[in-house]
Amino acid sequence: MSGLGSGSGAGTTPLPHRSVANIRSPHTSGNTNPSTPSSSSRPVPTSSFGSPSSLRADEDILILELGSRKLQIGFAGDACPRGTVWFTPSQLRRVGDFRDWSSESKTNVDWKTKKVTGEKWWTRDHELWEYDVREVDLGLIGDKVERALREALTKYMLIDSRPRRMACVLPSSLPLPMLSAVLDSLFTRFQPPTISLFSSPVALTVGAGVRSALIVDLGWRETVVTSVYEFREVNTKRSVRGGRLLVEQTHKLLARHLPENQKKKEGTTSEDTQDYDLSFEECNDIATRMVWCKPHLSSPKAHKSKEGLPTLHEQDESDSTEAESPTEASKTARIPLQSCRSPTTIELPWAALAEPSENAFFDSQYSESSFDDHELPLPLLVYRSLLQLPLDVRALCMSRIIFTGGCASVLGLRGRIFGEVSKLIEERGWDGVQGKGADQMRANPKLQGKRGSRPAVSGPTGVTSPPEAVGGQEQDGVWHDAANTAHEACPVEEQLARGQDKRPRVQGKMRAIESVGAWSGASLIAHLKAAPISTIEREVWLQYGAAGASKPSEVDQKSARQSFGPGGLIRGSAANNSWTLGVWGVN
Amino acid sequence: MAPLNPYTYIQCPCSDSASLGRPSDATSPTSADGDEEDNAFDPRAPRANFSLYPLEYLLYCEDCHQIRCPRCITEEIATYFCPSCLFEVPSSNLKSEGNRCTRSCFQCPICIGPLSVTSIEAPPSDPSLLVPDRAGTPHTTYSLICSYCSWSSTEIGIQFDKPNSIHAQLAKIRNGGASRLTAKERKERRKELSHRGGEAALAASSEAAAGQDMDLETQFANLKLFYNSQLADPNAGDNGFSSLGDLGFSSPSSLSRIMNLYTGGKLHDPRAKSKLGAMREAITADEGLLETDLDESSLITQLHQSDFLDTASSTQICSQPPNLGETYIYGAARFNSSLRPVPYLLRTKRSKRCPVCRHIISKPEAKVQTTRFRIRLVAGSYIPSITIRRLNLPGPNGPAAPAILGDLLEPLKPVHFVLTFKNPIFESLKVTLGAPAKTPGRFPSKVTVLCPQFDIDANTDVWDEALKENDRESSGRSRRRAGTESQFQVEVGKIWERGRNWVSIIVEVVPASLKLEPGRDVLKQDEDVLEIPMFVRIEWEAEGGGDDAASGTGRDKDQKEKKELAYWCVLGLGRIKQG
Repeated sequence: MSGLGSGSGAGTTPLPHRSVANIRSPHTSGNTNPSTPSSSSRPVPTSSFGSPSSLRADEDILILELGSRKLQIGFAGDACPRGTVWFTPSQLRRVGDFRDWSSESKTNVDWKTKKVTGEKWWTRDHELWEYDVREVDLGLIGDKVERALREALTKYMLIDSRPRRMACVLPSSLPLPMLSAVLDSLFTRFQPPTISLFSSPVALTVGAGVRSALIVDLGWRETVVTSVYEFREVNTKRSVRGGRLLVEQTHKLLARHLPENQKKKEGTTSEDTQDYDLSFEECNDIATRMVWCKPHLSSPKAHKSKEGLPTLHEQDESDSTEAESPTEASKTARIPLQSCRSPTTIELPWAALAEPSENAFFDSQYSESSFDDHELPLPLLVYRSLLQLPLDVRALCMSRIIFTGGCASVLGLRGRIFGEVSKLIEERGWDGVQGKGADQMRANPKLQGKRGSRPAVSGPTGVTSPPEAVGGQEQDGVWHDAANTAHEACPVEEQLARGQDKRPRVQGKMRAIESVGAWSGASLIAHLKAAPISTIEREVWLQYGAAGASKPSEVDQKSARQSFGPGGLIRGSAANNSWTLGVWGVN
Repeated sequence: MAPLNPYTYIQCPCSDSASLGRPSDATSPTSADGDEEDNAFDPRAPRANFSLYPLEYLLYCEDCHQIRCPRCITEEIATYFCPSCLFEVPSSNLKSEGNRCTRSCFQCPICIGPLSVTSIEAPPSDPSLLVPDRAGTPHTTYSLICSYCSWSSTEIGIQFDKPNSIHAQLAKIRNGGASRLTAKERKERRKELSHRGGEAALAASSEAAAGQDMDLETQFANLKLFYNSQLADPNAGDNGFSSLGDLGFSSPSSLSRIMNLYTGGKLHDPRAKSKLGAMREAITADEGLLETDLDESSLITQLHQSDFLDTASSTQICSQPPNLGETYIYGAARFNSSLRPVPYLLRTKRSKRCPVCRHIISKPEAKVQTTRFRIRLVAGSYIPSITIRRLNLPGPNGPAAPAILGDLLEPLKPVHFVLTFKNPIFESLKVTLGAPAKTPGRFPSKVTVLCPQFDIDANTDVWDEALKENDRESSGRSRRRAGTESQFQVEVGKIWERGRNWVSIIVEVVPASLKLEPGRDVLKQDEDVLEIPMFVRIEWEAEGGGDDAASGTGRDKDQKEKKELAYWCVLGLGRIKQG
């Protein structure tokens, strides 16, 4: 690129000189010219030589989304990825190892003779990465990505191995070493001229057609709640309650119902390690097929939607465990199992199949104080991340909740989380202080005067009013408050307001919206040729690696300083050869 | 435990250079030779599985004299075709119509058997009347039927009017038989509406249609349309996405915006105003905003009432093509009734090139029906193959009795293996072997290569061999006889057996005992397999041009050039007895 630029520069600088010479004396210029045309014509081949690469760059961009368990790939502009490759143990085998197809592997002989201890071994081969970088083999991650991508390219994309531009959709919490390993593998093995990075929460936001959203990513490793405001991630909270926990809870449930003679009797079970009686594949299968989630107890009240009636109807059927109708109690689910000692079919009550999701995501039998920061139940997690947001951001985000991730397909889970969060808001308002002391303080009339500066916050918490009213008050309070802080007409507000449509934005009420997904969102972004968070060029990466990336903070200062001079804006941007890794390079 | 056939895997040198992060000088094998001792290749390392290939999977570049594995090859596509109907698909179709066969080739969603189109005979209302024109009535419908598991598309409520172009028909039908609009039709309808009734009618109709008709494809199309209109809006100026990328504040647009914000009074500058007009967000379903229907009670009820086998397994769901026409995104393919016939994925024939010298090393015939290759330089015809045989020296069941396959190796008892190297090229090879004295891993077995250096004669004409038969008799054959008859004739530094273009040597192995601390550790999968890493270095003299080693034997010896190739390979010898 730089060569091209200098070439054109060399071509243009002699031009005025030549034209002047032409005007003066065409004959002499004819003599002097031979040197100049040759110098000016020399850049032409280089530019025509360079043009194929630019042509190639205009080709379709490959978009790949890397998740903990799968890789999705497709062309930019498509509505959905062309292919999905799951990370499985068979992918870790050598080429030419066909044991998956042998009859023994079908009957899980291998699994039965093997004793698996510890959750890590149980699930490890089904995951791409573990975010704990300490004991991770980064080269292995690169190899896994390479093999999966190669499979995807040959099986689903059906493209040759010409270098193509790529765009990666990555979770923004991906540690830098892993990002580096992935990029290394992509750059050295597939030779893309550039790789752009998109963060999946932002892509999801774009995929939902909004500018701000609260992304609840019910992922495999963990659940991440990300608040996106004006396409920027402003807050992230996470909890380990994700798909992995769900599958483990499913295993626990199944193992509990397993007849004793089907279990592996090793007799050496210690407390810290857990033995697995069933294979991961089977538990995962059952978790995706049969596990469901009980609706929220008071969801009809919290739901002010028109679907209130069917919800209520459903609740009578399946929710209240103590008042189950006899048919309900007798209803059992028969689940055939293959991976225990001998194939068997277990029967377990239908209601029990809701237990795994209950334990994995809610654990509502424990008090709130018993949870660590990394294992908050999901409603609390969503509530707290909303609580941390500034008022106006919160107002926007709470009415743009996007559920995504693999566990979002657990039936009823999204509704349950939504309902419980609504209830929490209804009960507590937006006050982070909880407990007896806080209640007493609120009840104490003497202290009310002192806390008069925050009447809107404490108001709804004390009174148990219908949710609609609470929502209205809350909203009023919020905006009243915001108006107080803004002394005059805030210029920023005005600017923002100008961008808005005349139609009012939905804000301040709980609402969930659907996104086409992170991959499709990124496909949209790339299709619209919007700037990605970061674009890395191959040469630069191969030369410097991740160390070559400048940190966003550094760039801030430098470009800001440059911009203050006259014309600094343009120069600053033109001479901008620094690149960042965006959110990934921050730490 | 599965019996284990002895096997050989070869590590392509390309992965070596990549893993060690060295510059690409590893193409010259000498550099790899140097650190052979330092970092012996560990076949048990999880990464090793990604770089090991059986010999049959490897190709060879004649010009670079280098092994080329599937990872270090650039591919070009010769033909796209459907594996079911063997119909060649032009590459232009691929982009517009996707990677699946758009004719009538479908796989069963339950098993993976091929589906065939069968006409459904409507139950004859009056069987006594055999009116001939009844057969020609348009009421004849067709369905897809799996001949293996007898699944029928009527189970998901799908029937077709025509027996051909099933793919196009299927795109218009939802499971259960309800019709849906394809993207093209939707666009046309939109155009039509806007012509007829203007904005209001358009909005109204789309609002009405949004509830039941929104699917992934529609939402995506709506979003795309919406964003395009927003970006095309002259007021939007600087596109609203700029904030996506301006984390570093390095883009001029964001800088100017910031400058504008902080330079006070110029805020009402009309230019700034137009610049700052941010893209608004989607508000109606027509623009791609879709409110989630969180009420999944009907699905829960359905799940409640259905049997385990009524639900789709995860493998069935994985093999489903992305279903653009599904009305809801989540929990979509959960029941068997929501599965759809899977159109066959297209396949390709690919020609392969060496990434360094760009020479073609594999090129298939372009015709779909032929399986022949025009060019195919397989590594097996350039590098020596290694076969492994167990040697039962002091056998109770007769001398030199072939070991039974899958025989477990006794721990701590020396075993001998015969490695036979067969030279495929028409030059004599000089082979140097190197193996670590102890295999890497938790259970180190002792390995001794008794003859680490030897020559293999060229792969000459078979008749040459026949003529030399008498000479050989004395050296090779007699040696073997001596070895089998007398009890222990395995000598260090001596070749065990030699033939026309092959040499056998002996490797002595003392398998480790697989004693585990009780209760603490578990034997990992395949950890009982005795695998020895071995560094193979071959040297030969090729013709000066280096192009054609095959015709080199009879040529001028002066132009010969010394070539060498070095690589790691892994020999899987057998399973060690546990206990």
